[in-house]
Amino acid sequence: MQRRDFLKILGIATGSGVITSCGVKKGAEKLIPHVIPPNIEILPGLYTIMKTTCTECPVHCGMQAKIVEKVVNDRRMRFPVKLDGNPDHPVNHGKMCIRGQASLTRLYHPDRLQQPLMRDDAGKLTETTWDDALQKIAAELAKQTPKKHAFLSGRTTGAMSNLIDNFCKQLNIERLPEYEVYSYATLREANRILFGHADLPTYNIDNANYLLTIGADVIETFGNPLQQAAHISEAKEKAHLHWVHCEPHVSLTGLQAHARLNILPGTELYLLLYLLQELIKDNRQYAARLPMEIRGTLPSITSTLVREKTGIDISQIDGVFKGLREAQHPMLIFGGVSAQQETGLACAIVAGLIQWVTGMTDNAIDFAQSANFANVGNLDDLDKLARLLQVKNVGVLFISKTNPVDKHQFAYYMRENLKSADLVVGMTDFLPEQTDDYDIILPLSHPLESWDEIESRRGISSYVQPVLEPLHDTLPEGDILLKLMQLRSSSKTSATDYKSWLDTRWQQQLGKSGADEFAKTAFIAKQTMRISVQLQVRNTGNLLQNLTLPPATNGTVLFVTPSLKAFDGRSDVLPLIKEIPDPLTTITFDSWIAISEAQAKKLKLKDGDIVSLTTGDKAISTLPVKIQPMLTVNVLMVQRHMLDTFALAVNPATGESNGVIDNIKIEKTASSLKLAIMSGSLSQQGRGVIPRPDHRGHAHERVSLYKDHIHPDYQWTMVIDMEKCIGCSACVASCYVENNVGLVGRSEHMKGREMSWIRIEPYYDDGYAHFQPMLCQHCEFAPCESVCPVYAPYHNPEGLNGQVYNRCIGTRYCSNNCPYKVRRFNWQAHPWTTPMDRGLNPQMWARPKGVMEKCTFCIQRIREAKDYAKDEDRKVRDGEVVPACAQTCPTNAITFGNILDENSKVYQLVHSDRVYRVHEHLGTEPSVYYLMKEDGNLGKEHG
Amino acid sequence: MNKIIPRLLIAGYFSIFIIIIVGLGWAWHTYREAPDQPIAYSHNKHINFVGLECTHCHAYADRALMPGIPPLQTCMECHENVATDRPEIIKLTAYWNKKEPVPWINVNYLPPHVYFTHKRHVKRGFECAECHGDIAHMDKVRQVKSFRMGWCVTCHRANNGPTDCWTCHK
Repeated sequence: MQRRDFLKILGIATGSGVITSCGVKKGAEKLIPHVIPPNIEILPGLYTIMKTTCTECPVHCGMQAKIVEKVVNDRRMRFPVKLDGNPDHPVNHGKMCIRGQASLTRLYHPDRLQQPLMRDDAGKLTETTWDDALQKIAAELAKQTPKKHAFLSGRTTGAMSNLIDNFCKQLNIERLPEYEVYSYATLREANRILFGHADLPTYNIDNANYLLTIGADVIETFGNPLQQAAHISEAKEKAHLHWVHCEPHVSLTGLQAHARLNILPGTELYLLLYLLQELIKDNRQYAARLPMEIRGTLPSITSTLVREKTGIDISQIDGVFKGLREAQHPMLIFGGVSAQQETGLACAIVAGLIQWVTGMTDNAIDFAQSANFANVGNLDDLDKLARLLQVKNVGVLFISKTNPVDKHQFAYYMRENLKSADLVVGMTDFLPEQTDDYDIILPLSHPLESWDEIESRRGISSYVQPVLEPLHDTLPEGDILLKLMQLRSSSKTSATDYKSWLDTRWQQQLGKSGADEFAKTAFIAKQTMRISVQLQVRNTGNLLQNLTLPPATNGTVLFVTPSLKAFDGRSDVLPLIKEIPDPLTTITFDSWIAISEAQAKKLKLKDGDIVSLTTGDKAISTLPVKIQPMLTVNVLMVQRHMLDTFALAVNPATGESNGVIDNIKIEKTASSLKLAIMSGSLSQQGRGVIPRPDHRGHAHERVSLYKDHIHPDYQWTMVIDMEKCIGCSACVASCYVENNVGLVGRSEHMKGREMSWIRIEPYYDDGYAHFQPMLCQHCEFAPCESVCPVYAPYHNPEGLNGQVYNRCIGTRYCSNNCPYKVRRFNWQAHPWTTPMDRGLNPQMWARPKGVMEKCTFCIQRIREAKDYAKDEDRKVRDGEVVPACAQTCPTNAITFGNILDENSKVYQLVHSDRVYRVHEHLGTEPSVYYLMKEDGNLGKEHG
Repeated sequence: MNKIIPRLLIAGYFSIFIIIIVGLGWAWHTYREAPDQPIAYSHNKHINFVGLECTHCHAYADRALMPGIPPLQTCMECHENVATDRPEIIKLTAYWNKKEPVPWINVNYLPPHVYFTHKRHVKRGFECAECHGDIAHMDKVRQVKSFRMGWCVTCHRANNGPTDCWTCHK
């Protein structure tokens, strides 16, 4: 060797040695053990499951949380990292909706209230201690005053409702009727008049073979959407259900029905009366169930009148009539926006009569299993409170988990008058929008940090237990009330904390073994006797006597709807909810008003143009517009939480706030906003993403330079049934949480940098709407694999298209070459700020900046199933691997398994005649198969 | 005479490299060296003199991903009464009385994107010592294998283990 070469090598070796030795970390990470092992054993690195109840909306589904141990501040603590449905729970059977899945981000939200706040002498809300805040309230309650103290809360059931009763009785506080935005007041009033039960019954659709839904968004927010969606899916399979939805606007529910009837706003009564009249005329048995007193009051509706008023073709209406008449198990559900209008009560009564004469109330409509709204009042009750406040007659006003200053016409006075109460105490988990209204704000613990017992519906009690220690200095509502009771009456012995109060209650009601069983199963389903309802002839007749047929609605109508994502607005704070696109429009962060294509053309509006809406002299809102295909010309739509108004009128007959504002004047403003719309186009642009039957089977013969892959044991395959899929986006939320997918915010979304691994693609073509879930197709011949310079995407022996994150150098060639556009690039490091980082799933790595990522078919779950199979020295059984999306899918539209196993469910489904794959002509051979709708993706004829 | 200075310079130049190499070797040695633990716990003493099994404390090695670090309660089962006067046990008792966990320093480290399960390897019949070295005779535990991917794959190949990337990469 030459001396020069020696020196060169030596120089390079030392130089590189010095450079690489820099930054070598000594293993300074700490290993923190327990001091005393906890009674819930969590194996290190694995998770355990704890059963509790979801409280994100009033349905209260059974829920199970995956708990892992993490080291935080040198303590070993447990944290939930994923929420799933409790498979045994009778309300949701192991399924969860988009809001339930996302509710984990409520627990870990960095903006949650962390300390009590109290108004100081300067009138500013400042942080205080629990002792000071509670002492202040107790002192105010102790004052001798002629004023009344009052307690207003959102809907409560079960134990909490009883405790509030005790609390109010003991401290001489008036318990006001509860305020719930969507309280079904109209339907409950109609059911009271008709059958003497002021309740929202359970609608059992699982046996129906004809379903007519009018206005009720049965798969989104109405009643128990999870169960209704599951029932519809079940009935499609069991009873060849034909489902017709009738609505004046456009909803996901309507677009998912087999046929959608677009009715003119405010004319549902004509349709219902016509159907009832024809049913009675046609069937003597039906007629016999309707006494003359009632039949005599029904106005006669001719077919010309109903066609003219409703705007629906008479053949379609007759189709509906025939469907109801001929089906063995017909079903009618009325509600939603159709109930929230001036004629709502009359419509609900007539709908109830149809349910009665056809015998639905005897079997499918179950009043024994009704949702308990007994404590819930209506807006008239709020009005009473506002008046009480106005005459300065309220001492301490507790406002718990509700916002009385809402969007209805009484809210404005409510806000004005709240100031006249001596002390307004708010109990909530986030700082209210209008903090001026409150003197003391008490932060509530998340239900995942609290004990409780909730009534999911009558006859089903659900168990709520803490699955982690409180993250902040918060208290559960039960503990707050008990502490106040202690402060006020030291002589009386009562429980000091809510858990012991509940224990006493459970001991008394259930006994020792019953209480243990309750803790184990997390629910009690009592045997309920069917309530056989009887038509209350006199009440119904009285109401129908004053029935007037509504005139046609004037001008443009705005429908204010609940939201699939935010419900009545309460879930809008969840960071994950904001990231997930609205399924109809794929808008993520923004608020918008949906406008019809024709109206937009007339007013020369395009997406994002800001308009101001007024009715009469009242201003309603100023929002950007989004053109919504299939919307009737003079109909506008907005989700309730997006509205900033006090314009919603109150229905005098029922006290429910209307969801319809008519005589809208639209005025274009000069400004516009670029909306965060995720979809490039709401049309397939003729690319046949969702093929018609004649497009199928045209795969070209594949010529490849690469060898075929060999799969010795498994070839994982997913089948998505488009007949069952309802586009509800629960899978999207589930995937986000399971896989630590980054939340990137609006500005990144505007650059098309959303991170979702699975998305719902809406396509409106030829007058039909399709919603296609799109995720990594795990192509057998994947275009992404061959273009990567560092082999980060690769094909694994089980047919998965793998991605080795720490090999990826971020060229993004793979994403460019992906025909399905499902790869996501980490453009930035995701700030998993404390405590959001506590919710990260340790089974999955949180990918760093500069790395491409995508769906893995939940490789961590495959790995886990294989591990357990290996313990027993066998192969993974069919159904043992359930990806997060499939697990939560309310309709079981997603099936996952090993296609090499001829007995597997996926094998059978893949050999169904409805099967297709997206862009089959490209020869990528995806592992994700889709099943066409029963009608071959063509869309059925209306009616 | 006039040749001494250049020779010294050349010798000095080369000795710098030698010093660097020796220094690096030493640094490498300390990198691998056992860290000082908050309590000088000796595996040697507990295994060879007391006669404990590995799984007495690392109870989950055949059941979970991680073998588990014993809770303080396990230590106190004996040290409530045994050797309570020794300085290290006094430290231990202090932690116990404060009900604070001992902040042990991690010796064997895998990066967070690696899925590794002790259970599978123990069930396959590997002895702890094959990866962790002769811990039974260590008074102070140190890392003896590199725990780098090459080392893993070599062993997987030799033992017919899976070599699919997604077996370990998460």
